[in-house]
Amino acid sequence: MPKLLNSKIVNDLKKIFSEELQKKVKILLFRVDDESICEYCDLTQNLLKELIDVDERIELEVYDFGKDEEMVQKYDVQRVPALIILDENGKDYGVRFYGIPSGHEFSTLIDDIVTFSKGPVPNLSPETIEQLKKIDHEVRIQVFVTPTCPYCPRAVLMAHHFALVNDNIIGEMIEANEFMELSTKFGVSAVPHIVVNEDYSFVGALPEANYLNEVLKGLKK
Amino acid sequence: MVFFDLEAKKTGPEKTEYDVIIIGAGPAGLGAAIYSGRAGLSTLVVEKNIEGGQILLTDVMENYPGYGIINSNELAQKFKEHADLFGTEFDYGEVVKLELDNENSKLVHLDNGRVYKSKVIIIATGASPRKLGVPGEDEFISKGVSYCAVCDGAFFANKNVVVIGGGDSAVDESLYLSRIVSKVTIIHRRDKLRAVKSLQEKAFKNPRIDFIWDTVVKEIKGNDKVEALVLQNVKTGKIEELPVDGVFIFIGLEPNSGIFKDFVETDENGFIITNEDMETSVKGIFAAGDVRVKSVRQVITAVSDGAIAATIAARKYFD
Repeated sequence: MPKLLNSKIVNDLKKIFSEELQKKVKILLFRVDDESICEYCDLTQNLLKELIDVDERIELEVYDFGKDEEMVQKYDVQRVPALIILDENGKDYGVRFYGIPSGHEFSTLIDDIVTFSKGPVPNLSPETIEQLKKIDHEVRIQVFVTPTCPYCPRAVLMAHHFALVNDNIIGEMIEANEFMELSTKFGVSAVPHIVVNEDYSFVGALPEANYLNEVLKGLKK
Repeated sequence: MVFFDLEAKKTGPEKTEYDVIIIGAGPAGLGAAIYSGRAGLSTLVVEKNIEGGQILLTDVMENYPGYGIINSNELAQKFKEHADLFGTEFDYGEVVKLELDNENSKLVHLDNGRVYKSKVIIIATGASPRKLGVPGEDEFISKGVSYCAVCDGAFFANKNVVVIGGGDSAVDESLYLSRIVSKVTIIHRRDKLRAVKSLQEKAFKNPRIDFIWDTVVKEIKGNDKVEALVLQNVKTGKIEELPVDGVFIFIGLEPNSGIFKDFVETDENGFIITNEDMETSVKGIFAAGDVRVKSVRQVITAVSDGAIAATIAARKYFD
């Protein structure tokens, strides 16, 4: 099979990782073997294999969504392919990718890896962090994206960094094309489309304070 | 086509003081960064999304010299790498506040909480798709109304969509959508397109694209999602309804001049007024690219604006 990442990207990644990575980062991939159920599982696994070949500080563990029930339950995996990023101690911060992180979302994955290897420390304003810390029940932020949408990584990274602040927050990228049923359920037809606790939606890569306000609105519903 | 890029980030540099801060990493901002870096000025570019600006909203570029026909993502990446060559630093966030202490000290506050200081600011924030301003438009965003074909085209596979507008963007995006959807109907308020001839010819030849001329949209209607448009013929005044699954709106641009309008002079539409050296009404603040008052908005003219702004800035403020 031809490589997914060309030599230029591999070289760019080598440079980024050698300059930026500090601690180890672990990626969990949940998948199934059946291509009729999961069109992108193989491709996602191949992508991650190529990625861990670039730098040994990135570790990959692959689980079967159908068979590894305990892990599926532990991480509350909803669908496949699913990527979960953990810090070097295996701590889960609620950072999720559902669907292949390709296109512009590949950079989201790489930025997450760098962030996790440095802490992870949320790159958010002190005011936002203070507000997020107060959240005392579970919040699921689902960011619907397409790989070609240039506004989307910002909306996903925001959800991921929110998740870093508070264990009650889960931040998910959802590749809308791969999960069309879910996209249809939430009426997604322009991205980024963000759904909070499956109940409240907003559209667009909003600035941090506005994004936070929308998420908080979703909480109150 | 599966592609992978590395542009989105949430981290910023350690340094907080620069000679020049460029706001926006589209063609104007990156053009300015190349010239500013080569002039030996320490340069920060602040970008809220990813590098490339409106280049990324189109599929391929056909009119940037030296590249023939190039994938838009690739061109954006080349611009970014070119700016990297001369030591440009980047932060990712939206400018939410500007403070002008004195001529030599300007503070730029980002939504991520970081604050940077510089002597010169180049506003290269570009422009966004203009809204139609009809009933139903806001209500049906992400329910059938879209302003980005590359982002949202896939949701309308095998469906019928309408594109509103008659300029380059409207026709270009119609051609892109025609590869995904079953039918594109271009609705234009005049009886001919304003787009360049080469695009027009492609559109007229495309069996999946048809046209409704001399017509404006009065309302976007539906229950949970867009179901129909209310159209009016501007010549006959006749009103009719057109059933449709999606509407893509490309009727022009509005400037991303938001908070800057409180500082620099703009025209009645919010575009920033500059002289031919890209200087705004405030000393040390320049504007470049689509955000300023100008009559041609192309990648090449944006890059040129950036080059002028940075060159004049270097001469006037750092010699």
